[in-house]
Amino acid sequence: MPFLQFYRLADVMARMALRADATRFFLGYVWWVLEPLLYVAVLYVVFSVILSNPQPDFLYFLMTGKLAYTWFAKSVTQASNSIVAGKGLVGKVNVPKTLFPLASVQEGLYKQVAVFALLFGVLIFGAYPVTGIWLYLVPIVLVNYIMILACAFLGATLVCIVRDFSPLISLGMIFIMFTSGIFWDVRDLGDPDKTAMVLAVNPLAFMFDAYRQVLMYGRPPDMLHLLAIGIGFGILLWLIVWAMRRNSQYLALKALTA
Amino acid sequence: MSAENHKLMMELRDVSLSFHSARRTYDHGQHHVLNEVSLKVYEGETLGIIGRNGVGKTTMLRIMAGILAPNSGEIRIAPGKTASLLTLGLGFRDELSGRDNALLAAMLQGSSRKEAAAFLEEIKAFSELEDSFELPVKNYSAGMRARLGFTTALMTHVDILLVDEVLSVGDAQFRGKAQAAMKERITGDQTVVFVSHMADQVKSLCNRVIWLEDGRIFQQGDAVEVVDAYQLRISQAQRQGLQEHQEKLSKQNLKA
Repeated sequence: MPFLQFYRLADVMARMALRADATRFFLGYVWWVLEPLLYVAVLYVVFSVILSNPQPDFLYFLMTGKLAYTWFAKSVTQASNSIVAGKGLVGKVNVPKTLFPLASVQEGLYKQVAVFALLFGVLIFGAYPVTGIWLYLVPIVLVNYIMILACAFLGATLVCIVRDFSPLISLGMIFIMFTSGIFWDVRDLGDPDKTAMVLAVNPLAFMFDAYRQVLMYGRPPDMLHLLAIGIGFGILLWLIVWAMRRNSQYLALKALTA
Repeated sequence: MSAENHKLMMELRDVSLSFHSARRTYDHGQHHVLNEVSLKVYEGETLGIIGRNGVGKTTMLRIMAGILAPNSGEIRIAPGKTASLLTLGLGFRDELSGRDNALLAAMLQGSSRKEAAAFLEEIKAFSELEDSFELPVKNYSAGMRARLGFTTALMTHVDILLVDEVLSVGDAQFRGKAQAAMKERITGDQTVVFVSHMADQVKSLCNRVIWLEDGRIFQQGDAVEVVDAYQLRISQAQRQGLQEHQEKLSKQNLKA
């Protein structure tokens, strides 16, 4: 299947899935932004109201990190189960198995457009003006998308081979939420070496921090670091796509029989 | 003209497939589905495959369609030729309209978005769904779903069509139309591999028939000969089963 046709098929699958999901609920498409906002509200109550977090503008700080995290976590978790969930199709049509996680990631991407629009609106309303620095969002979002694709394809392959990876991935997302500076500031650890270590070791902590640097503090991200993450996950993505294409029939057998 | 005089479209040589199912499944363990199966499919012929449930018919079609790979043996397909399964309701979602589902199914069957969009009016007309074509499939009756599924599947354009039990679809009125359209396709130039339990249908549509038993080819040849032998074996097995059941009941009655 030519790449363009393959990509359009994944895109149509994603749009159809979103349309089908929206018809299942009374609030329909509103859930795209309502669900992440409810998560933010719960965390805000816990960390700001109950625990009195001293972080200035904590609501904006939390929203920026949490909404970027939710895009990653939900896309990867859903895509990881996509080949197994689509085994009805897997047994009937010979399509590249990358189609299933790609369609899931596209679903997440379309939802995130609405979520980012809301986030930017809230930030602008909350006295964070749009500046030229915001243009750095383009490479940040692109690298974030590549990270999501690589992790989603890897997760989908692992879950297809051994189903036990599915709860492990869900657990991993909770681990990432607590270790990547969603509700604490990676730059406020009191030790610059520790901050540098966290940003170097955990690429997601770097990404969430990069969103905040651009949107809240008007500072560009470390572009070399961003480029290194983009290249690293780009290579990982290429390797997984190659492996999935090479083992397409093995994955089909595992999806149908494991 | 015999099938062997035509161009070879596909060949399976000593194809075997076994797999290990997961521990949590009710039939976990090693399964030998196909065992050194060899066959040839010629251009324009309709090859029938018969056999009891679970003998590997669907798996064989999946291997022919490239969905699964054998553990051993090889599959050769004529250069540039394609094979795919005819599937009813491919990827259908209840919440989507007939139009959206038809578009998605056509694209999954290999059409580009433009080609799939061009098929939609044809699908709407053949399925006779009229305004219901724009309604969610969850509002359809079983007959309406079958109409949509069959018509969308009929739009599959491949060199080797692999058909798995789909000739009896929809309500009585549509069934005649569907069977006529399918027969026209099968008896035309289309190369078809056809799996069915319906002996009369296999006899009337197929040039050759292969009888699968426990993952192996038990008999192959002229459609009428093979199907008659298969039916004889089935009726003998049924009689034997009935006799054993009656003997068991008699023993139980004696004990009581």
